[in-house]
Amino acid sequence: MTKFFAPAIAIAVGLLVLLGYFLPNSSLAGIRVIIVQWAVILAGVAFFVGVINLLTVHIKKISGKGKGKVYSLLLVFSLLITLVVGLFSSSALNTIFNAVILPVESSLLAIMAVTLIYAGIRLLRHRNDLMAVIFLFTALIVMLGSAPLPFIENPFMGIRPWIVSVLATSGARGILLGVALGTLFTGLRILIGADRPYGGK
Amino acid sequence: MSDFISSEFISAAIAFLLTISILSYLFGDNALFRSAVHIFVGVSAGYVAAVVWNQVLAPQLFRPIFEGAPNEKINASIVLFLAFLLMMKAIPPLSKFGTPSVAIMVGVGAAVAIGGAVTGTLFPQMMATINVFDLQAANERGVSSGIQFVEGGLMLFGTISTLVYFQFSAKRGDDGKTRHNPLIKLLVLIGKVFIAITFGVLFAGVFSAALTAFIERLDFLITFIAP
Repeated sequence: MTKFFAPAIAIAVGLLVLLGYFLPNSSLAGIRVIIVQWAVILAGVAFFVGVINLLTVHIKKISGKGKGKVYSLLLVFSLLITLVVGLFSSSALNTIFNAVILPVESSLLAIMAVTLIYAGIRLLRHRNDLMAVIFLFTALIVMLGSAPLPFIENPFMGIRPWIVSVLATSGARGILLGVALGTLFTGLRILIGADRPYGGK
Repeated sequence: MSDFISSEFISAAIAFLLTISILSYLFGDNALFRSAVHIFVGVSAGYVAAVVWNQVLAPQLFRPIFEGAPNEKINASIVLFLAFLLMMKAIPPLSKFGTPSVAIMVGVGAAVAIGGAVTGTLFPQMMATINVFDLQAANERGVSSGIQFVEGGLMLFGTISTLVYFQFSAKRGDDGKTRHNPLIKLLVLIGKVFIAITFGVLFAGVFSAALTAFIERLDFLITFIAP
């Protein structure tokens, strides 16, 4: 039954949402809002399924004989504490955000500064072709042109805006258009039933 | 004493320990770093789960069932049934019952992605490429028509050559080897140059942001030790 039922559901809801999106004054717009709300709620439930799976995997690790039990214990403990606290107090949730998530994310971004320098050096050592040179040369000019120099005029400050607003913008626009076209065709393949990532054969 | 061990101090102390643990990765992978990352994953998952419950599931699914109008109760009951089916995905022998709920999410996701791609990226980016040739607007900004036209042409050429770079189809000759049009080959090469420049600019931007974060973290550590 799933063989025909699941694709029929996906195509029907997809077309209703799409028509509601492009015909905002029709009655389909109201149906679109309801179906999108269903999908948002189901995505929330899917996240909870993911959290349960994460907990199951790490609880199995804790009760098993393998390495990394302490790390799994830390993960399970921190997850449950945050979840329980977050369900009852939004201010405590903000405190947890400021004490854990914010500093860790900021620190991970900080160590990326060193990682990027290392990656740049590795790129030149292992793949020193024209594109690698253009890539690093552009990065260097843009960085050197970001701040004024003491006592002398920075020669890169004049060329930096042109590189960013003309050359890089046109490249980024091409990439964005390519990504949008890819998204469009992937979506259309799902809506005509050519791709069935939900499992229907 | 009570001021010293305030909630702000405990919060800052945890942030200090986690920052030190993460930055210790600069000396190589170690137990401190791995502990901090596991705590981070656990807290992030718990945080998002709590937010999803407070912002989505409680107000949009469970509250309407108990407190909503009759039509809201019917709507919420349908979603509750679909959510129940989705939970079956966590039980391997019953996972096929969750497929219709996943199909709804995929169908809606595809439709929203199409709408977003067309109205959010394709049309605005094409309009931006066209608007560069608005010479009258350029004159009003004090830019000469000739310079604006050359810049616009260069941008159009860069956009097209970058797009051509992503075309991977080719004709197959009688000998079975793939053959590319020489003009396409040239455009692909120019497109690669534009992509390299774009990624160079992105690299510089990300590096600047990372360096700023590094300086901010060091400032936080110093301030915590010697306020």
